[in-house]
Amino acid sequence: MIKGYAGRVLDVDLATQTATYQPLDEDTARLYIGGKGYGTRLLYDMTRPGIDPLGPDNPLIFATGPLNGSVAPQSNRFAVVCKSPLTGGIGNAACGGSFAYGLKRAGIDVVIVRNQASAPLRIEIDGADDRVRFLPAGELWGKGTYATQAALDKKKYHAVIGPAGEHQVLYAGIVSNERIAGRTGVGAVMGSKRLKAISVNGPRKLEMDDEDAFKAYTKWVREMFRDHPVLGEKLKRYGTAGIVNTTNARNIIPTHNFKYGHHPEAMQISGEWMEDHELTGVKSSCIHCPVTCGRDVELEGVGRVKGPEYETVALLGTNLEVLDLKRIAEWNYLADDLGMDTISLGAVLSFAMELQERGMLNAGLRFGDVSGVSDMIRDIGHRRALGDHLADGVKRLAERYGGHEFAMHVKGLELSAYDPRGSYAQGVEYATTNRGGCHVQGASMYLESVGPLTINPMNLKLKADIPILQQNLACAINSMVLCIFTTYGMIPKQVHNLDPNSFTYKLVTTLFENSGPLMRTAMQLKGKPMMWFEKWLTYITGTTVSGGHLQEIGGRIFNLERMYNLREGLTAADDTLPPRMLHEPTFKGMTSGHPLPQLLPRYYTLRGWDAQGVPTRRTLERLQVRI
Amino acid sequence: MAITVELTYDMAKALGGVRRFEVADARTVADVVRLTRERFGEQGEAFAKLTRVAAVAVNGVLSNHQRGMSTPLVDGDTVTFLKAAAGG
Repeated sequence: MIKGYAGRVLDVDLATQTATYQPLDEDTARLYIGGKGYGTRLLYDMTRPGIDPLGPDNPLIFATGPLNGSVAPQSNRFAVVCKSPLTGGIGNAACGGSFAYGLKRAGIDVVIVRNQASAPLRIEIDGADDRVRFLPAGELWGKGTYATQAALDKKKYHAVIGPAGEHQVLYAGIVSNERIAGRTGVGAVMGSKRLKAISVNGPRKLEMDDEDAFKAYTKWVREMFRDHPVLGEKLKRYGTAGIVNTTNARNIIPTHNFKYGHHPEAMQISGEWMEDHELTGVKSSCIHCPVTCGRDVELEGVGRVKGPEYETVALLGTNLEVLDLKRIAEWNYLADDLGMDTISLGAVLSFAMELQERGMLNAGLRFGDVSGVSDMIRDIGHRRALGDHLADGVKRLAERYGGHEFAMHVKGLELSAYDPRGSYAQGVEYATTNRGGCHVQGASMYLESVGPLTINPMNLKLKADIPILQQNLACAINSMVLCIFTTYGMIPKQVHNLDPNSFTYKLVTTLFENSGPLMRTAMQLKGKPMMWFEKWLTYITGTTVSGGHLQEIGGRIFNLERMYNLREGLTAADDTLPPRMLHEPTFKGMTSGHPLPQLLPRYYTLRGWDAQGVPTRRTLERLQVRI
Repeated sequence: MAITVELTYDMAKALGGVRRFEVADARTVADVVRLTRERFGEQGEAFAKLTRVAAVAVNGVLSNHQRGMSTPLVDGDTVTFLKAAAGG
């Protein structure tokens, strides 16, 4: 077995309450690494087209990668893959916490959960003797994610759902510690299986090809991260909400259901404000991560809890026109405890508010008004009253009540907190990303709107190239399974200290903007490992991996996801943005919306797809995507 | 002619917490920096130093994608000063 892998897949059948260990497929591991790549390959091969995402035929696949279980910063994450009940296409989400660490300690790379239990149950995996126990979970059913984890074995690591998953809220997630695999409704699939929790631990140690080189290099990376302006300073000091002032200044923070990209009081929900007014002084991280992007806040009557992240403060803050961090923290805690994605939740609430504003729905929800929101979140989590409708997400809510032109989703997945009208590459990425309108499948906005080195976000140069570069890289990163923040470190410290108005800065960005052919060539070069994640993978597995290799592997995963979506009935017509993004200007000086129709044909060509967005046979053969 | 000036956190701290104000007769971004320095004395000097490594957005579009400190302004424009961004 390749080093870095435990070499085993645990295949669990909930209907028969049986579990068997199977060998990990080495060829698949070489082609798809692990995480969502390996999981997508399994899903594609295991299922027939058209299965009910909430039925017994949809497997729920938990997958780690070869870096999991190591002390590499940002590495202890797991991916969950299944058919998404929210989009009907590929579903996946990644999560920090500690569950991935527990799986590797038990000598497990992947867990496949098949079928459905007849009554609530939980699974305990003991890596010491490889025993898998199926235990009744009736007493835990109905409990929040925090109470559930508190009731479980303290020596094990857990992945659990809350009431939102049990009630199959279509954007329910799976929680490990205070982190959540939030997107695409993976928690609803776990709920449909009546599986409340998986707990795991074991005595095994990760085997590496060159442990000494790995340790020495990791020490260097930790020091580099510590000195890095983003990973070591901004994120450490302000958390992810430290980006609020930037997105607000650049008119891309969602405001009033994405009608605007700016709110004059956004500073009051920023990470800097949290640092000064709300933070308890405690910062937190996933296992072995020095970035510590999490921060705790004090909630009255509850105590110290996880503070809200950027996506949450934007989508439950400016997007609802609520500039009250304490209130947002309360809703964040509530959503985490119920076990649901705060991105989709914020978009659903703002959509309901706009429907209310236009007299199309009487939900008792109004922009800028906090009353009724907490109750609605609880109602959504338990599918009570009108919350039952909101639990189905924006797309289905628009089908029921109208408002398609301001329904902020792509392929059924609610948009995350970057308005693509001020970030054109991000718009192309939203439109084409296989799981729908999400930013962590590429994060193109970092290179054009929020990072330290920003090419012009509002011209057409490179706007079809950058999403491909980023999506492929993110597919590889999400298959290792690393945090996407690791890519932020690719822009060196020196660039952060450049005067944005200086000649040097302009020269660098102009060269970058005109580097299309060079970039496309560089993406194919397979040489020595350069970046830390390439070196880690090389030291651990013993197989040389460079940037070109990662682009190829990422491209393979992306195209397989695409083929899965096409098989499920999604088409090029689904590669679009909400009408509001395409047709309504958002700020002064802008005359139209996002120019997606001009960019999409170029994107298809660069991807090696035909005019209908279907990967050509040649492209699939080149990438070794077996269909 | 009125130009709205918005400052993000670090920049606002340099001016003693002032987050938004208006300046008149600023024809360029450089004029905004000069007028702010004159108006806030010592704090204005500290602010002007910070602007050397700060990004500037005019109506949401970064000045370095326009004409830098020479970017022209018209009545009603909003100029935002912010430090280099982190991730989100």
